[in-house]
Amino acid sequence: MPDEEVLEEGVLNPVKPEIQDPLLKSILAENAGLLAEAPVELEQPAPLPDPVDEVDCVVIGTGAGGAPLLARLAMAGLKVVALEAGPRRDPTRDYATDEKAQHFLFWNDERLSAGRNPVAFGNNNSGTGVGGSTLHYTAYTPRAHRGDLRLFTDFGKGVDWPFGVEELEPYYEELEHFLGISGPTPYPWDAKRRTGYPLVPLPLNGAALLMQKACADLGIRTSPAANAALSARYYQEGIGWREACTNRGFCQAGCNRGAKASMDVTFLPLAEAHGAEIRAEAYVTEIERDARGRVTAVVYTQHGEQKRQRCRHLFLCAGAVETPRLLLLNELALTSGQVGKNFMAHPGMQVWGTFEEDIRPYKGIPGGLISEDTHRPPDADFAGGYLLQSIGVMPVTFASQMARKRKLWGQPLRDYMRSYNHTAGINILGDCLPHDNNFLELAEEKDVRGLPKPRVHFTAQENEQRMNAHAEKLMRQIWEAAGARDIWAFERYAHTIGTARMGLSGDDAVVNAEGRAFDVPNLYICDNSVFPSALSVNPALTIMALSLRTADKFLAAQQRLDR
Amino acid sequence: MASPHYPDGTVRALLQTDLVTEATRAALLPRLDTSVHPPQFFDEATYQLLRAVAARIYPQPERPEPIELAPVVDKRLAQGDSDGWRYDAMPPDREAYRLGLGGINQAAQALFQRPFVQLPEPEQDQIIAAVANGTAPGENWQHLPIDRFFEELLAELTEDYYSHPLAQEEIGYVGMADVSGWHHLEPNQLEAREPEAAK
Repeated sequence: MPDEEVLEEGVLNPVKPEIQDPLLKSILAENAGLLAEAPVELEQPAPLPDPVDEVDCVVIGTGAGGAPLLARLAMAGLKVVALEAGPRRDPTRDYATDEKAQHFLFWNDERLSAGRNPVAFGNNNSGTGVGGSTLHYTAYTPRAHRGDLRLFTDFGKGVDWPFGVEELEPYYEELEHFLGISGPTPYPWDAKRRTGYPLVPLPLNGAALLMQKACADLGIRTSPAANAALSARYYQEGIGWREACTNRGFCQAGCNRGAKASMDVTFLPLAEAHGAEIRAEAYVTEIERDARGRVTAVVYTQHGEQKRQRCRHLFLCAGAVETPRLLLLNELALTSGQVGKNFMAHPGMQVWGTFEEDIRPYKGIPGGLISEDTHRPPDADFAGGYLLQSIGVMPVTFASQMARKRKLWGQPLRDYMRSYNHTAGINILGDCLPHDNNFLELAEEKDVRGLPKPRVHFTAQENEQRMNAHAEKLMRQIWEAAGARDIWAFERYAHTIGTARMGLSGDDAVVNAEGRAFDVPNLYICDNSVFPSALSVNPALTIMALSLRTADKFLAAQQRLDR
Repeated sequence: MASPHYPDGTVRALLQTDLVTEATRAALLPRLDTSVHPPQFFDEATYQLLRAVAARIYPQPERPEPIELAPVVDKRLAQGDSDGWRYDAMPPDREAYRLGLGGINQAAQALFQRPFVQLPEPEQDQIIAAVANGTAPGENWQHLPIDRFFEELLAELTEDYYSHPLAQEEIGYVGMADVSGWHHLEPNQLEAREPEAAK
């Protein structure tokens, strides 16, 4: 009956059907009278404008999880809008080479850190702005290893990913080429790769050279690391030339010349060139659904004004704290009981020493040198493994961490800091197992918007503690061999992982192997929250690989539906 | 060890050159102003107490005008700025400072029967040491984890101190000269704008 649809729409039917039922007739008349008499209610909030322009996809977040898929979806011809909580800035004009002035790069809304090893957020692991946390990442971009994705198979601990590393490899290859990653070819710990890095490694700084020599003496293999910063001027498809790195050393507080492959100089301009719209300073508060549980729109605040954007599909890419927070606030995708659970943070223990040599730790790419000989140490008493890297460091970050650890004050504090130029460090990036005691929840305490602050519980369990002990001993050996004195270790935990895990079943995972929420058919999640396990490598490259894969899986599913 | 020191005036001179980008110069020049403003958040007595505490954690006997840290803390608390996280065991920052500084005065009263600001430096140092060791007496420490308070106070003062261009000069940091990048990365390979420590 072709007329039914028209009648259901309710707008094209010019005939007002007369009510026959006398009771209904009288009720309607009464209500009409009431409505006419009702005073104008000024107190009532004005209803949000409900723009009819529904887009194909809204993407929340423009970091490593959101930006690549935004570009992919736009290039497939979809109408896509990205909502980014932070501002858009011009690095060449706005970025100072000053840690304090760059404070705006970090997600500075207060989070509560609980547990025996409370995790530092802000500049430790949480960014904001068009480009997300890639604006402050170190650009360290090693690939995950085959074993990282099957920890349970290999050790009987943690969980396996729902697919193997071969699913990620084509994306790693694509990303290394597209971003212009500088790294060693062949890769010493994965010699059979199909493709090499497009650029030679960046030059080694003082810490890297000291570590290289000491490791050689101890029989530990090292190599210049893979970094997503350009060792030479590079032509990036769809974007144009990007300039080479000048060893400014400031990656963790923003690159001011586009040499570092943050999303604002790579995938986001690509996405915009293909029609994507990026709305900055758009803070999402609500995710609206219809009666069937499908997402219909996103409500956000921009410049003090509340706005709504309708969408056919939603991609939530806000990172492993804000993603589960939004899900919990909106009571969305919660049936597995896993949202907020399995919070993981990489053991990132650092060992520092003072050298005779003038090091100048502010120069050069911070993570210049890598060793993955410790990926599966033969003498390990723990599951998984870690990588070793040399580290450069800026003075305020170094001073702050040192003060927290060593508790020096008064003249000894100033005296120690005068050896800053003679300081060099090594750190690890190690796997972390999920544990029941490590999770995110909504606190009673509210933020400035009146929304509950997230509280994150983290306690390093036996596996992390054993890994830390193993790594500290080894790093002290390396620095002793390098000639350091006054060696000290700083136990720390980096990155936020695992709070909306991916899996094969909606009983124990929030999203399926394609990144789609089990509960909500048009909700995809893509950031470090979907990682089932933490991996023994820095997460950025793998988040980007997942992002491209999620987009491809989504597009393939749409094609199937279209047929 | 004999601490190295770096030539006075290095950073002030650098900031006037075209080796520094406009964004960096704009960030650093205002910080050279070390004058003490009236507090916006603390009451006057608490503000003077914080100044006295900061002067023991960062004593600067050699500077005619010490780098003042209390105004930076006061400004942050007045604006309600955060660094993105807080120990769950700690109350909100404003309350933590109120309780912690109050606790420092309680310790001064208990040990020396005078408020902290009226004590000679050696006694002030004993109080700071007691807070650092977690042994300071005082009712307020029943409501505030003393170790976390000291860690947070120390970290904030440290970040504020070493954000100051003259403190960066003190440790030989010249990364603010950021126009040309760095070409000599190897140990002991310095560039013209990198000061050598005086022997």
